Amino acid sequence: MTPLKFEQLYERDWNELENALQRLRNKRREKQDEKPLSGERIAELYRRTCEHLALARARSYPAHLVERLDRLTSDAHQAIYQHRELGLNRLYRLFAVEFPRAVRAHAPYVWVATAVFALPMLIIGLLVYYKPELVLSVVPPEMATMYEQMYSDEAESIGRRGAESDWVMFGLYIRNNIGIAFQCFASGLTVGIGSLFFLAYNGVFAGAVAGFLTEKGLSSTFYSFVVTHAAFELTAIVLSGAAGLRIGHALLAPGRHARAQALVIAARESIVIVYGVAAMLLIAAGIEAFWSAARWIPNAVKYTVAAFSWTAVLLYLTVQGRRAG
Amino acid sequence: MNRDAASHVSGGVLRYQLSTINCQLAVNNAVLDTAVYAETPEGILIELRPAGIVARFYAFSIDFAIRIGIFFLASFVSAGLGMLRLAFLFILMFVLEWFYPVLFELSRWGATPGKQALGLKVVMDNGLPITPAASLTRNLLRFADFLPLMYGFAFVSMLMRKDFKRLGDIAAATLVVHQPLPVPKPAQQDIEPLAPARTLAPQDQAAIIALAARASRLTPERLDELAAIAAPVAGAEGKSGPEVTRRVLAVAQWLLGKR
Repeated sequence: MTPLKFEQLYERDWNELENALQRLRNKRREKQDEKPLSGERIAELYRRTCEHLALARARSYPAHLVERLDRLTSDAHQAIYQHRELGLNRLYRLFAVEFPRAVRAHAPYVWVATAVFALPMLIIGLLVYYKPELVLSVVPPEMATMYEQMYSDEAESIGRRGAESDWVMFGLYIRNNIGIAFQCFASGLTVGIGSLFFLAYNGVFAGAVAGFLTEKGLSSTFYSFVVTHAAFELTAIVLSGAAGLRIGHALLAPGRHARAQALVIAARESIVIVYGVAAMLLIAAGIEAFWSAARWIPNAVKYTVAAFSWTAVLLYLTVQGRRAG
Repeated sequence: MNRDAASHVSGGVLRYQLSTINCQLAVNNAVLDTAVYAETPEGILIELRPAGIVARFYAFSIDFAIRIGIFFLASFVSAGLGMLRLAFLFILMFVLEWFYPVLFELSRWGATPGKQALGLKVVMDNGLPITPAASLTRNLLRFADFLPLMYGFAFVSMLMRKDFKRLGDIAAATLVVHQPLPVPKPAQQDIEPLAPARTLAPQDQAAIIALAARASRLTPERLDELAAIAAPVAGAEGKSGPEVTRRVLAVAQWLLGKR
């Protein structure tokens, strides 16, 4: 069969499929007068076009013909096999089931990350508390003074350098904290070393500042400030580190998979944790900017809300989504 | 090693059972080409052409300029917002830093403006549109690609791999590909078709038709040169010139199916 004849014989099928795909693509933008093709018809045309492509290749038909069929099958393939992951349903399922489940599935990593974060924090915190000059080996002197002012009783809003508005701090917290969490996750690609570093570094820093301020007698302002959003923020940092460790572990010990394949699987499973982490840090940023810093809220209220937040976060991570199918 | 054994070995390298045609295609091109073949459930191989380091560098540079442009524009426009301005700028900076590529990759174009300008697109390894999870993965892991400095890991990874993946692409199972350019169609010329002087293998037929398709974009001199190579087909072995060219093009018309 000559190429021209081949084209004449089957072009109607190709045109029909091309039009159907075009209509699928424009579905949302314009009202359609024609009834769209049924899925069965599209699948039938697609399979037929696949055959035509195989024939055209086997017979070395002209490049333009093969190319047209190539593009047509590839477009149809994309339309038929793509799966949509966006939407409110998916979002609901993510936070109602998938995220807490992913955290539990990564329990060993979460425990390691917790230890790597919390142990340096406790040790450095106690060290600085008993030997305050040690704080200078973690933060420069100007910064130490700055922290002292930020949490002093005279400060207008707690935890701020000057008179920045709540909104400015909200923006700043989003940019910094979520950025740190993403870095903590991504640096897991350095066989986990990066995640360990970020976890320990943030632990040391938090411990040093907490020890220093406690020793200065500012504990009531400092702890009432941090304790509420810490429920979301510290947990989220630990979780992002755990996700990073998972990736690092997959690279170090891929098990029965090829290393690249193990990495793909680890990334696919741990990215779910990162979604949740981003959401938790968004909440943390809101609390830190609008609630924690407020002077007018009595400490007793703050501590109550904090206790509630911690319980809610821990319950959410341990119980939520256990029963859903 | 004899030829059969060699082809047996190369056949074994292709782990999947491909139909004979597909197999030939993949093996023939495997030597020189960087093309990647994704097999569909229907047994059709979809050809993907991974984009190399240079094209991706240009795309990145364009995107970088656009990001900076957006930020300056926003800081200029938001001048009247007062206290909210800084908050807005911080959040914008965060979004531009981490989500600029994600938003564009999940749009219907499948690529950032920089990639679009260079005709690139991000797809999954199997040729399907990129999923939100994959897009997020490859763009969050960008931070690791950036290490130790100036995208050092990304450079090393891309230079070491045939499919030019950076670390984020490996983990997300994505591929940055060139979008195929349309192949010109041979014009239906008013030349009296001419039967070839000898029997032609399918590949030779395809080559002559491809020459006819390119004819309008070549200078007459170059066209004559190329047509001279195919002169035996037109029964004019060893000759060249416009007349030979005309005859070769006539053979192309015959091969296309005009009689």
